[in-house]
Amino acid sequence: MTAVEYFEPADLKQARDLLSRHPSAAIVAGGTDLVVGSRSGKRALPKSLVAIHRVNELRGIEGQHRGGLRIGALTSHADVESSSVVLRDWSALADACALVGSPATRHLGTIGGNVCNASPAMEVGGPLIIFDARVELASRGGKRTVPFHEFVTGPGRTAAKAGELLTAVILPASNRRPPVGSAYLRLEYRQAMEIAVVGAAALVAVDRRGNCKRARIALTAVAPTCIRVRAAEEMIEGKRLGDGVIDEAARAAAALARPIDDVRASADYRREMVAVIVARAINRAVARAQEAVR
Amino acid sequence: MRTDYRRGDGLEKVTGQARYAADMVLPGMLEGRLILAGRPHAHVRGVDASRAEALPGVFAVVTHRDVPDRRYGSAVKDRHLFAKDVVRFEGDVVAAVAARDADTLAAAIALIDIEYEDLPAVTDAEAALGQDSALVHDEWESYSLGYDGVIRDRNDCAYVDIVKGDVAKGFEEADEVVEERYVCDQSHPVPIEPHAVVAQWSGDRVTIWTTSQVPFNARSGVAETLEMPESNVRIIVPHLGGGFGGKCEFHFEAHVAALARKAGRPVRVVFSRHDEFVAPDKVNHPMTIELKTGISRDGKMTARTARVVMDTGAYASDAPSIAEIATMMAAGPYRIPHLKVEAHAVYTHKTPAGSVRAPSGPQIAWAVEQHTDELGRRVGLDGYEVRKRNLLEAGDEGPTGQTMTAIGALECLDKAREMIASTRQEGEGVGLACGWWFSFPSASSVELKMNLDGSATIITGAQENGSGAVMGLALIAAEELGLDPARVSIVYQDTEAGTWDMGSSGSQTTFNNGRALISAAGELRKRLFDIASAKLEAAADDLEIADGSVRVKGARSRGVPVADLAAAAFGQGELLVSRGSAATIPMPENFGATCAGRVAFPAFADPTFVCQAARVLVDGRTGVVTVKEIAAAHDFGHVLNPQGALGQVEGGIVHSIGMGLTEGTQYSGGRQLNPHLLDYKLQTAADAPAIRVEFVDVDGSSGPRGGKGVGEPPIIVAAAAVANAIADATGVHVRLLPMTAPRVWSALRENVSLGGVEGAASPPGLPASGEGAGQ
Repeated sequence: MTAVEYFEPADLKQARDLLSRHPSAAIVAGGTDLVVGSRSGKRALPKSLVAIHRVNELRGIEGQHRGGLRIGALTSHADVESSSVVLRDWSALADACALVGSPATRHLGTIGGNVCNASPAMEVGGPLIIFDARVELASRGGKRTVPFHEFVTGPGRTAAKAGELLTAVILPASNRRPPVGSAYLRLEYRQAMEIAVVGAAALVAVDRRGNCKRARIALTAVAPTCIRVRAAEEMIEGKRLGDGVIDEAARAAAALARPIDDVRASADYRREMVAVIVARAINRAVARAQEAVR
Repeated sequence: MRTDYRRGDGLEKVTGQARYAADMVLPGMLEGRLILAGRPHAHVRGVDASRAEALPGVFAVVTHRDVPDRRYGSAVKDRHLFAKDVVRFEGDVVAAVAARDADTLAAAIALIDIEYEDLPAVTDAEAALGQDSALVHDEWESYSLGYDGVIRDRNDCAYVDIVKGDVAKGFEEADEVVEERYVCDQSHPVPIEPHAVVAQWSGDRVTIWTTSQVPFNARSGVAETLEMPESNVRIIVPHLGGGFGGKCEFHFEAHVAALARKAGRPVRVVFSRHDEFVAPDKVNHPMTIELKTGISRDGKMTARTARVVMDTGAYASDAPSIAEIATMMAAGPYRIPHLKVEAHAVYTHKTPAGSVRAPSGPQIAWAVEQHTDELGRRVGLDGYEVRKRNLLEAGDEGPTGQTMTAIGALECLDKAREMIASTRQEGEGVGLACGWWFSFPSASSVELKMNLDGSATIITGAQENGSGAVMGLALIAAEELGLDPARVSIVYQDTEAGTWDMGSSGSQTTFNNGRALISAAGELRKRLFDIASAKLEAAADDLEIADGSVRVKGARSRGVPVADLAAAAFGQGELLVSRGSAATIPMPENFGATCAGRVAFPAFADPTFVCQAARVLVDGRTGVVTVKEIAAAHDFGHVLNPQGALGQVEGGIVHSIGMGLTEGTQYSGGRQLNPHLLDYKLQTAADAPAIRVEFVDVDGSSGPRGGKGVGEPPIIVAAAAVANAIADATGVHVRLLPMTAPRVWSALRENVSLGGVEGAASPPGLPASGEGAGQ
């Protein structure tokens, strides 16, 4: 670690001002990526750091009118995974946050930091895609919101401009008729301290006859960013959900994956696992949709 | 024996007060780092440190020019402290730097120019055995040996065999012959505390605080390589944060001592996790294991040939003795009348392998025990029956001729089968595995002081690695002297205090130092009885010691406190102190028609036996294996400290499951691809299965109070039991270790594509066809 300029704004206004004066500064929240990465020699700390952990306005989960949800950037994974409203209406996001790292990581790491780190293996990425999430960015010039899937542009790259701070993740209200279920699953080699080898998020709206009215499916860790797989969604939308249909959708998702070979798995294995994990994610989402009826 | 014993260092460790080598801070101390080659094989054209040395705050850069030009190595003297003209693996040390702080150190390292000429790397041990292979050590013939008996040929730095009976005849007697090949990747000990060394000179004497399991080896290594008397080298080991063999042998103490000497200041070097994976010459051998065994229709093994090729990496380290153990493990704890077993330890350009917890044991047992199940299957016997008919019993002859005395192998088998849940859910399988290991007799000694208040102090050279073996000495002394263990202190961790000890390796601490302590305590007790005899007007033979007093047997009221006896002795000018040494234990007999035994292990002294059963769940779609339950039955003779032994068994099992399923180093061109904890996947607490443990009590050990070595056996067979459980669940044996999810998945697919035809021949290295997936 080398000597850095370090700022610790007390509120959002100070944070915006600091970022406008130091546009190349890196923003640090929980530090579970930036600081750990620097200590392990992965990459040096940036020259200039703005630590936002005291900006309490950015912490917390609040409902929005007509049923949307606003999750402050500093909200920890632990707070998201234990939020009753997230567990009920955005289950896939609770699933994802419960899988991140270890209990220590989940208490320190924040959803905003996780999103800005823009890892292709980001657990929350798939769920945010299926929920049509947007991210809110603030700078001294004002605020804007960007769809999550446009915000992450590549491994470690985002659409945030210099001087912009991610302030919240916004989950828009969605139609819950017919009942909706969602789930996020990943292939894991062990039960904790794991990173996604393949992850899949699924959302389904299922009517009383078992027909899928609406579907969203997204993949994690099998492309440069988390990706939505529309072709797979189309395979189940409007159809009665059974194993055959779900397997077809899962295979369509696998065909869209662009996995790499690395120490965690071969590309071939990853592609095959996409089909398995997608099918399981859809099944779990369906089960949750049916539970929601009861 | 008490089961509620709390080890003396427990509270400070769990409350974070314990201090480790990396916590050391000395006035004026510099930060140091070793510069590793970072490439598997190269000529070192030159090292130019002039720009680094000119940087303010840099105190020293050390290379081979700063230390005596001599080779060292425990078995083969084949390496230098700092590479001279060749680097042979990515962790070879080329230079070391000391600077005032971490930032200056990083800047200095960036300024050191090392010119390499990269050379092709030898990475395949089997190919390296060929007469036409490039040599890892051009000058191998000129190397001197650390001990006699090492048989070498080019890259083969240790050849060992066992020859017993007539294998051709044995195979003729067989009704079925099974021939298989198993392949194991490198794996690591991974102590949570990485290596750390602090060195401080005072004149021509050096004190070194280090993370060593074997401080006396470290001392002799420093003395040998820096050419100074051992009396000028003091090794202190603060609390050790685990070792598992990774901190055995002399490692980096001399590098840091040389650096501190040149810098003229104390220097601390703390390894990064990357360097911890790459540099220490102690990893589990990658190996190939070829087994061919005959079995008769009535389930008796008739003959075995086995060939084990151990990829020992760039330097021999202690591989020759491990090759001997490997031959014993390949023979297994079975009655096989005709045997031909050979093992080779082979140089390659990889991280050197060495004695990690039960070296060669988990890998070979994993192969042998799957092989045993397959042998049983061929003659219609399940895993229990085939073992029952072949396990060694008292009176049987071991692989090298030793006659078994009372042993608990069969009892372990029965207990493990009893303990494992008999019901299983869909996708689950159950497997059994048996193994054996040895106790390691060695010279060992203890000094024992009776303090004037009747408390006692042990002074020992034994090393605590975290297992609690040294901590358990207080319990032994307390029982021998009739004291509360809380009134027994232990002076250890310092080569200036205790006498020479082999260190925490070979499961030997309690086995040898415990015997020395019992002897020392016996002498002290005798002296106390002599003094008490006059006071109590009773013959010394009629006395006993308990609850802090010496008293007349059968007359509890007639006693005198030990403190009074110590005071009485003091009044006569006598201080109560004694010394005890472990009596020599002769190695069991050996019929000699074999190379095994030339280096260290002609047979297994006071052998320990184990059987573990595993229940696993296999996700057939992904290949992910979850271990639900392990039942472990161990013959440790008589267990001295049940709490301590239980901890060793549980830890060993989890470690073994990691080797079996999720660990394993991947290599590409002589470089480790996953030298970090994200992708070298240890088992976590969340992965640990339910574990049941039983100790089978067996008489006849020559260990202290009939105990045998405990530290290593628990790791040997859990991976094997898991493998057999996977096969039970799926019908497929996985013959690559670790049995990662992608490998299990591939093996299942391979089986389907072969049609799952029972008895179909499968080429070596590929999964044999089983009964078909899903059965």
